[in-house]
Amino acid sequence: MSEVKSYRKPYTPKVEWNWWTKVPYLTRYMVREGTCFMALFVACELILGVFLFAMCNLVENPTEADVAPYLWWVNSFVGNPIVMLLNLAALGASLFHAVTFFALMPKSMRVFMNKNTTDLVPDYFMLGGCYGALAGATVVILVVAFATM
Amino acid sequence: MHSPRSDEPIYWLLFGAGGMVLGIAIPAVLLVLLAAGFSSPTIDAGLLNFNQVKGLLGNWFMSLCLFGTIFLVVWHACHRIYHTLHDLTVHVTKLHWFVFYGLAAALSFAALALQFLIYCKLF
Repeated sequence: MSEVKSYRKPYTPKVEWNWWTKVPYLTRYMVREGTCFMALFVACELILGVFLFAMCNLVENPTEADVAPYLWWVNSFVGNPIVMLLNLAALGASLFHAVTFFALMPKSMRVFMNKNTTDLVPDYFMLGGCYGALAGATVVILVVAFATM
Repeated sequence: MHSPRSDEPIYWLLFGAGGMVLGIAIPAVLLVLLAAGFSSPTIDAGLLNFNQVKGLLGNWFMSLCLFGTIFLVVWHACHRIYHTLHDLTVHVTKLHWFVFYGLAAALSFAALALQFLIYCKLF
């Protein structure tokens, strides 16, 4: 920062906040950016669950009263129809995010075929890796969730 | 002393990693949460019942995986909101920076502290 007083009067063009609603392409861009609100919601939901689990009385052979905070979270919060609709919306948002984020990978991350060439690995290679990771992680998480039930 | 080197790469790295986690792991997590909402769990029956989650949070590896997911997703989301403010015609200041990155840091520390507390209690 300069200590000298600035006499610049920068021209700031007037832009309406809803400029992106007028072109479908730009709307899609803002929806993509908006998926992060659903991501933040999911993270807060998980942190709330961890918090309410920590509030439980963690003893051997607990009673209903000992684990009431956690049971409230998993039954009345996660099981609440509005929260389940939000979770469904978050599922759609995270999949939309996944598609757009994976599509950017070949453009943002340059991986060369080998050291002696400037040829990049083909796009479908990286996309296949990303979608494979999505499928693999989904299988692993579902198996862990249902196998430890 | 003000360092001439930018700290931006750290946040963009967290953003990228969080984007991958959000795309790869969160859909399955949401499927599990939706299924848990239907199964009305109790202490030892149903999906995400108390004893199951006790086992998962008492396992250091599972707990670290959950923390890593929450941590990266929170930083991804806050970074993205901070940079999208410009598109919503908000001129960002240092205050916005502190609000959004502070929120990300606070939520990460909350998750880490709570999971560490639970792990110590269960150990």
